[in-house]
Amino acid sequence: MTLTAMDFLIPAAVQGGADTSAAIRAHLRCEPEPAVALRRCFFDSFEWSLYRAGAVLEEVHLDQRRELRWHDLGQHDPVTAQQLTTTPPGLIDDLPPGVVRERVAPLLGVRRLLPMVAVSGRRQTLRVLNDDDKTVARLCLEQLRVETDGGRRPLPLPMRLRITGVRGYTQETDAVVRRLKTILALEPAEAPLYLEALAAAGRRPGSYSSKLDYRLDPLQPAAVATCTILLGLLETLEANIDGARRNLDPEFLHDLRVATRRTRSALSQIKGVLPQAVVDDFKLRFAWLQQVTGPVRDLDVYLLDFPRLKAGLPPRLRDDLDPLRDWLVAHYHAEQQTLAAALASERFEVLLRDWRMFLQAPERNGAKDAQTPIKALADKRIRRMAKRVLDEGRAITDASPPEDLHELRKSCKKLRYLMEFFQSLYAADDIKGLIKQIKVLLDNLGGFQDLAVQAEHLRETAAAMQREGAAPLGTLLAMGALVSQMLTAQQRARGEFARIFAGFDSTDNAAVRKRLFAAKHSPAAPAEAGA
Amino acid sequence: MKVVGIYSIKGGVGKTATAVNLAYLAAAAGQRTLVWDLDPQGAASYYFRIKPKVKGGGRGLLRGKRGADDAIKGTDFEGLDLLPADFSYRNMDILLEGAKKKPVDQLKRLLKPFVKEYDLVLFDCPPSISLMSENIFRAADALLVPLIPSTLSARTLAQLQDFLKTEDGFGALKVLPFFSMVDAARPLHTETMARLSAEYPEMLPAAIPLAPEVERMGLHRMPLPAYAPSNAAAGAYRALWDEVATAL
Repeated sequence: MTLTAMDFLIPAAVQGGADTSAAIRAHLRCEPEPAVALRRCFFDSFEWSLYRAGAVLEEVHLDQRRELRWHDLGQHDPVTAQQLTTTPPGLIDDLPPGVVRERVAPLLGVRRLLPMVAVSGRRQTLRVLNDDDKTVARLCLEQLRVETDGGRRPLPLPMRLRITGVRGYTQETDAVVRRLKTILALEPAEAPLYLEALAAAGRRPGSYSSKLDYRLDPLQPAAVATCTILLGLLETLEANIDGARRNLDPEFLHDLRVATRRTRSALSQIKGVLPQAVVDDFKLRFAWLQQVTGPVRDLDVYLLDFPRLKAGLPPRLRDDLDPLRDWLVAHYHAEQQTLAAALASERFEVLLRDWRMFLQAPERNGAKDAQTPIKALADKRIRRMAKRVLDEGRAITDASPPEDLHELRKSCKKLRYLMEFFQSLYAADDIKGLIKQIKVLLDNLGGFQDLAVQAEHLRETAAAMQREGAAPLGTLLAMGALVSQMLTAQQRARGEFARIFAGFDSTDNAAVRKRLFAAKHSPAAPAEAGA
Repeated sequence: MKVVGIYSIKGGVGKTATAVNLAYLAAAAGQRTLVWDLDPQGAASYYFRIKPKVKGGGRGLLRGKRGADDAIKGTDFEGLDLLPADFSYRNMDILLEGAKKKPVDQLKRLLKPFVKEYDLVLFDCPPSISLMSENIFRAADALLVPLIPSTLSARTLAQLQDFLKTEDGFGALKVLPFFSMVDAARPLHTETMARLSAEYPEMLPAAIPLAPEVERMGLHRMPLPAYAPSNAAAGAYRALWDEVATAL
């Protein structure tokens, strides 16, 4: 049912709503429909997930109707799914079940749909008729303005004409297009309305990504490159504050915390570059940020995982788990308020201000490696951290205590972050392969560690619920069953460690590490000591 | 995609008006809708100002490589398409009989490519019980059966239900009868409705009145709610659509 539609811009010389419509009617047999006021708002997630997949979700307000339209952003911007709605788009569960929701769901995940740009104005539809008074094409003239905030005047867009064919009447549609091109000197619209409106509003689609993507020059001084990395992380952190404070969706807080963790890791791991006193000061201050954002994230993880946890229980126990969710939800609000207060605090504001001031005008002297070319420093840091991971991993036996695996996980995270910070300095395929390997290892170690933490947390929650009289016996038993499942899964992860670590500690990987990170002037360095 | 046959063994009970009006209301509610005009008289096609002609006729449709794709026409209403009637459909049973494989599953086969394209397909069925009807029953999720409140109409409903019970494979098919062309001033109609509603609990509550405005659809050549949205009969079709949508 997707129809051919073509968008044209009406040249300024011809424009003028009623005039354009009259000019068309003078040449084509048309039935005008009453002109209507409309508002078109375009939605995407904060990280532009729909745009990256070549699409956008539009909500059209037309009279009393509210309609969701899924556009492919290809040529002519076709609407390939649409459905009515009564509520504004938000999280996936806020969308009515149907074709549009089916398209959005796999791309959106837990993110919220946010209005990226909105246009409003008038639409005049003309139906082109054949001799039987049958509609053979639809012409939509839209005179729209981009809505702006802060009391600024709306930005007018050029008048658009959309010609939509009617199925089975291709020849008639083609004739209409030819005719109108002559009458109105139409210019094909070069971009879909959405992209045109974004450009007019000064928004760049795809501008946010939580992924690290630095382009570093191997020879640039380490202090400059390090500040570039840290500034990028600061920008990610700042971009997520508002969403985390308003709790728009759990990913804002998650991305904020990841940027904080990476910042702390960079401060610790890129050694000898920034003045030590500065490093020590900010490490402490960012540790505070990590700590105040922790409780809400823990609750998010639980609540997001709740359906899976529940489904993993035997059917008879599942409903008994609901008081746990109610308890988590009840505590969520208070924790979120504490978080919002911390993110609005002077302490936080001063931290960000001081940090930015330092990064933009750093004292680049005073640390011994401040002027060392970044590539040489990166090689050294990665080499050493890889060696530590290998030493710690090889020392782990079936009898090793959980703490040893926890230490290894911390080292693996540091190695992963270092490789991600510096990946632009290395051959893309090689470094990506190594990062992928370490992620596999981290997943295993994370499974082991997180399950232990979750089981312990669940035990503490059960005690707290009991103290508050919020845990019926059935709920405690169901939580007990969950703890048991978690510990079993933890054992499974432990059992797989040796195999997964062996995959990481392979000769092939050693060769890649040697090729990428070996010290340039020590060709005789032994493989792992130098890798 | 849901498939609904507007079906009755009896003619002149308001099938086409129901198909056309419900299709319009479904499309207005955002459902991508296709009406398949299976009646060689082509009344639904006429209402939508579309020529009752399919290239290659019924034979082309059943034997051709392109299936129904080329034959579908857009109506005057967004989200509402029509697969027109063709006079050759009068011989549809013979054409179906000649199908190499599964003569009873030909309509189902022809609809298969449109599963993602339409949310709702409405068959406007010719009055009969035949091989074509059997194709309709096998392709449909539900049969919407208009009943004029008379004893004779009730008999045809019973006949249909008996047929569906005796034949295999129609267990999942919902039968949704409703009253059509109701004249509230006639005691016979109101009495029959009360009796049949008790007898058939599956009877939908919405009843379509016998209204001059419905008959004028032929003059306007468009669905009733499109030219007389506030007419009582248009309201009755709206109620019927809500009930059908819920039942689906």
